[in-house]
Amino acid sequence: MINLAQKDIAHSLGKFIVTSMGVGMLLGIVLIMIGVYRGMIVDAQILLNDLDVDLWVVQEDTLGPFAEASRIHESLKETLRAIDGVDKAGALTFQNIQLPATPKPVRVVAVGFDPHGSFNAIKPERIIAGRTLQRSHYEIVVTDKTGFKVGETIKLGRNNFKVVGITKGTVSSGGDSLVYISLKDAQELQFSYSNNRIRNDKARGIINRDSHMVNTIVASLKPGYSNDMVANAIRRFKHKSVYTKAEQKTILTKNLVEKSSKQIGMFTAILVAVSTIIIALIIYTMTLEKMKEISIMKLIGIPNSLIIKMVVQETLLLAFIAFIFGNIFAYLIYDKFPKRVVLEMPDAWMLLIVIIVFAILSSLIGVKKVISADPAAAIGG
Amino acid sequence: MSEKSIRVENLIKNFGEGESLVEVIDGASFSIDKGELVALTAPSGAGKTTLLMMIGCVEEPTSGTIYLGDEKVYDNKWLTKETRKIRREKIGFIFQAHHLIPFLTVLENVTLVPQTNGISKKDSEKDAMELLKYFEISDKANATSAQLSGGQNQRVSIARALANKPEIILADEPTAALDLKRSVDVVKMLKKIAVDQNVAVVIVTHDEAMYPLCDRIIKIENKKVISTEVNS
Repeated sequence: MINLAQKDIAHSLGKFIVTSMGVGMLLGIVLIMIGVYRGMIVDAQILLNDLDVDLWVVQEDTLGPFAEASRIHESLKETLRAIDGVDKAGALTFQNIQLPATPKPVRVVAVGFDPHGSFNAIKPERIIAGRTLQRSHYEIVVTDKTGFKVGETIKLGRNNFKVVGITKGTVSSGGDSLVYISLKDAQELQFSYSNNRIRNDKARGIINRDSHMVNTIVASLKPGYSNDMVANAIRRFKHKSVYTKAEQKTILTKNLVEKSSKQIGMFTAILVAVSTIIIALIIYTMTLEKMKEISIMKLIGIPNSLIIKMVVQETLLLAFIAFIFGNIFAYLIYDKFPKRVVLEMPDAWMLLIVIIVFAILSSLIGVKKVISADPAAAIGG
Repeated sequence: MSEKSIRVENLIKNFGEGESLVEVIDGASFSIDKGELVALTAPSGAGKTTLLMMIGCVEEPTSGTIYLGDEKVYDNKWLTKETRKIRREKIGFIFQAHHLIPFLTVLENVTLVPQTNGISKKDSEKDAMELLKYFEISDKANATSAQLSGGQNQRVSIARALANKPEIILADEPTAALDLKRSVDVVKMLKKIAVDQNVAVVIVTHDEAMYPLCDRIIKIENKKVISTEVNS
């Protein structure tokens, strides 16, 4: 039996392909949007996975250090080490800073850690040039996206920092590049004030400035100790909030990324709706263009089922080719985005199912037109 | 004894109702034999195309009876839900314009209806090629209508009308867009088909020059079939 859809498409192949490419670009953007969300989830967990600690101790009643601000005394790490089950403890700081770069400053998150302490915040395999921090002062490790090279000097606050290492793929939960400095430098940057400010504070009678603060103390446990048990002990006796790695992951992915994911979800839904409307309009227009032929076919006795099959097959093929173009488009541009975009096959298959279902629904508008076509319209010139 | 191919009894067709009622055909009764070429003529708007569409099971009459061959297809209502099947199996249509499907080749246009009727691709293509040879356009089998001249397209459309081996051919003003010579050629071709294929051919035409080529003329005037005279 003659496949009418195949013949019709072959007759206007260029137009069909260009139309499919247009819809495909829309679907590609849908895939990119999903990829942006996936990228946010990955980014949110990079630091967490690189540190790979069991417990995060933060200021009481906060969701610190990422979702809420948290300040605690650095000395708490010594106390934690004395708690039964704790193997190692170390202090960390996190702060947003702007690196003075040309043509414009680069916004980064600086992670402060003790290079001689229990934890190295920089995973060795992330370093692509230079080395990790080795001194307690004036060294900085930056990510490749900042554009700095090993050996360059960056002025932060009152001091100059020498770039000693370059990492790749290290970003904060917000997607900003990570840089690493020593804990002491970080504390000075975050908690020390300028001379003018200190003089001003003294004049106001404020003299007690404690720069030995950190944002979190992280701890790893000895084998055989449960995270929850040790966490409960710290909560009870030290009046701090304590999160296990899994809980911190939940905070990052739910509290921090949730709104963004809803935002992206809304955009994605709107884009899918727009794509569906466009497919429906294209099919409707394609059907309208063939109304004379459809009337003739009905007049000479071609059953509706055969004509409807043509419309539905064309819709499905349009959706499928658009899906393929969408994937090609997404894979061509995804690494050009400033933030991480993660394209996953399950998302693509899910989009294919959704778009096929919507394409079938949108073909109904063309099918309705076929059913209502008057065979008598073929008569009379 | 001649075999009736079309028989119409007391056929009435009205459009609208109440004050807006328009009577188009009022009690038409006639018959057409197999092998006969009949011209259906009337002033513009008098209902000849409507009558053609009623015979072709496209337009539903208001009342009356229609027989196609031995089968009564209408008796104050359609006697089958599948009027389209009747068209597909019993009737061949020829239009004023060729009305070929532009995205199908000549061969596909001619084989579409037979294949829909369940004839295999191989058999339908064999029959179609014979028809195309008959109309001397077999070398254009793989061309589309856009690649053919007007005359070639008209011949393909006649081949398509014959492809389902119909009992009746209904032609709606097939010569309206042609010059006299080509019009005569087309009507002579239809006469030959009527005889060769033993089918009833009804052509709607205004062109009086075609009347002598037909076996009979059916005229509609003032809603009535006023004459069914043998052409002599």
